[in-house]
Amino acid sequence: MTTAPRDEFFRTIRQALGHPEGHTPAPSATALGRTRGDVDAGARHVREVMQRDAGPLLAQLAETANQNGWKVLRAPSLDTAADYVRDVVRRLEARSAVRTAHDILNRMKLDLRLADTGVALQVMAQGFGLDRAALRQKAIEADLGITGADYAIAETGSCVLIPRQGVSRLASLVPPVHVAVVERGQVLPSLDDLFTLRRDDFLSGNLGSYMNIISGPSRSADIEYTLITGVHGPGEVHMVLMG
Amino acid sequence: MEPKTKQFNQGAALAIRDEKAQKSLLGLYHGFHAARLRAADATPNWEELRDHARAIKAHTVEHLDYYLAQVEANVAKAGGKVFFAADAAEANKYVVDLAKARGVKVVIKSKSMVSEEMGLNHQFEAAGIEPVETDLGEYVIQLAEETPYHIVAPAIHKSRQDVSELFHRKLGSAPTDKITDLGREARRQLRQKFIQADMGITGANFVVAETGTVVIVTNEGNGRMCTSMPRIHVAITGMEKLVPSMKDLGTFLRLLIRSATGQRITSYVTAVTGPRRSNDEDGPEEFHLVIVDNGRSRLLANPELRESLYCIRCGACLNACPVYRKVGGHAYGWVYPGPIGAIVSPVLTGLGDAKDLPYASSLCGACREACPVRINIPRMLLVLRRELTEGTAYPGQRRVALAERMAMRGYRMAFQGRMFLGLATATGRVVQRPLVRKGRIRRMPPPLSGWTRYRTFPALPKHSFRSRWKRGL
Repeated sequence: MTTAPRDEFFRTIRQALGHPEGHTPAPSATALGRTRGDVDAGARHVREVMQRDAGPLLAQLAETANQNGWKVLRAPSLDTAADYVRDVVRRLEARSAVRTAHDILNRMKLDLRLADTGVALQVMAQGFGLDRAALRQKAIEADLGITGADYAIAETGSCVLIPRQGVSRLASLVPPVHVAVVERGQVLPSLDDLFTLRRDDFLSGNLGSYMNIISGPSRSADIEYTLITGVHGPGEVHMVLMG
Repeated sequence: MEPKTKQFNQGAALAIRDEKAQKSLLGLYHGFHAARLRAADATPNWEELRDHARAIKAHTVEHLDYYLAQVEANVAKAGGKVFFAADAAEANKYVVDLAKARGVKVVIKSKSMVSEEMGLNHQFEAAGIEPVETDLGEYVIQLAEETPYHIVAPAIHKSRQDVSELFHRKLGSAPTDKITDLGREARRQLRQKFIQADMGITGANFVVAETGTVVIVTNEGNGRMCTSMPRIHVAITGMEKLVPSMKDLGTFLRLLIRSATGQRITSYVTAVTGPRRSNDEDGPEEFHLVIVDNGRSRLLANPELRESLYCIRCGACLNACPVYRKVGGHAYGWVYPGPIGAIVSPVLTGLGDAKDLPYASSLCGACREACPVRINIPRMLLVLRRELTEGTAYPGQRRVALAERMAMRGYRMAFQGRMFLGLATATGRVVQRPLVRKGRIRRMPPPLSGWTRYRTFPALPKHSFRSRWKRGL
């Protein structure tokens, strides 16, 4: 009788751990902080802090993001934010741009506000007339990608994107310039808080397939330790902070 | 990859005479090593983070079969597939067969040390499939047909002139002395490959058991490209890269990134859980996770070497090591250089051929000090040295000569009791006489001549401290 390679793989490990006959006993749920109640309470606390400390967290993010190479704008209004994006488009002389379907971009009336710049703005979502292959081509051709944010992290100067329906993976990656718009109340104090929320999402069945923590421009120091930007991802990144 | 661990001495001698290599190795110390120290200083609770991470790794490794089964179940729930490969050949066969079955012509790769272990690129080439490394350093290495020099900075031994000449020769691009131009040329070349490729291959910095999530840390964005553009994503990982839960990631990301480059965070941290869902706008249709043993179970089975599986591949021990910083990455002869490589490579490829690696250390402890998960590397180097001299498990190993064993027994006896020590030093004072010049012993006769080949010994003084003490100093 032959054992399946998978079972053989596990048998080797159990043997190496000193109990070839059976499984290593499962660690207890409480030892791992795994009870649903703990996770709920942790996530609730994080959400409270995000709202309660929204102002100071935005201020901290502005500083850390700047240190990481983001060009940061504090925008008091939707109009100021839209004007800023328009200035970026004009300066780049961008002919085409892609964006996600984040609601903040709708509230900025971005499509309307960019109309007189001559840029062709494509929403990277099916149901806007294009299939996946055509959307991908749009992203490849685009001079600029504009996204909202799903979270931001004050500790690390990051914006977090969780791709799903309406939120493309490519919009923040493939064009040479990325503009991310972060809303008040989206800023988490630390990396740990992000993972507390994502763990809660997982237990609720909402983890999704993908997440990116983006913390500045694409960079490399692979040749002579010399920093260069824009190797594969965007070399120029802007973070617009609302409120 | 075919190990060349036998040739440590030749490789080391070559590197030590190579001025350019010495310059770039020095850069590791003033660059990465110094940046790590600054980052550690700037991180509150750095020492507690290290303890915490070590405890998590120890727990995970002790329950490895439990967590591996959990990964398998959760990746499947997310719509992906896990393949367990006992060795490099099984892993290569799975990945290459998959590529063939799906009609893949071009494969783009983000950095994966395990795929270097497997020699995967050669297998693709043999099957008529084009593998393209997309990390800038790895791309340079692939064009130069070399192996990585450093875990984190694979092409750090190449100057801009080297890279310019290489790009000119292999890609026909115009020579330049600007690194920005080289970066732009690589972007232009590789962008086309990203668009053409049907399969993306990545490593995994962490695999979260609880969710079946693969976490990839990059600065260039090639990891994101490989997981977003092609229709198939294959992640390849050593079986030790597991962490139990998402809540462990904060700790490990801080430690890994700050220990590797001193950055607060890399430009990108990417978390992949299965293929794209039906409503997602983009992303691969298929996700495969290949979990590789390839000799790791031998490290697991030996309680004295087990903690080498806690390694998170940050490269800090390389940058800290005075030996690595002289002999460079190629001398170690396999995928993993430096102090951790001197443990992992011999066990994964065969200790018999890698006899020199456990001895390529002064046991100064800098690696242990630098290790974010406090792996006691010097202790394990001693374990391997002991196995080499006393063990029988490895073919080709050298039995200790009778004379050496007798000498060591004598040494032990001499230093265990005052009487023997007195006798030994008294004898030494007589025997050394013809060898001493100006208070130093410059050359000892065989078989001890090796000891004085590169250094001199202080001669035993005329009177011992004890005898001077007795006479009132």
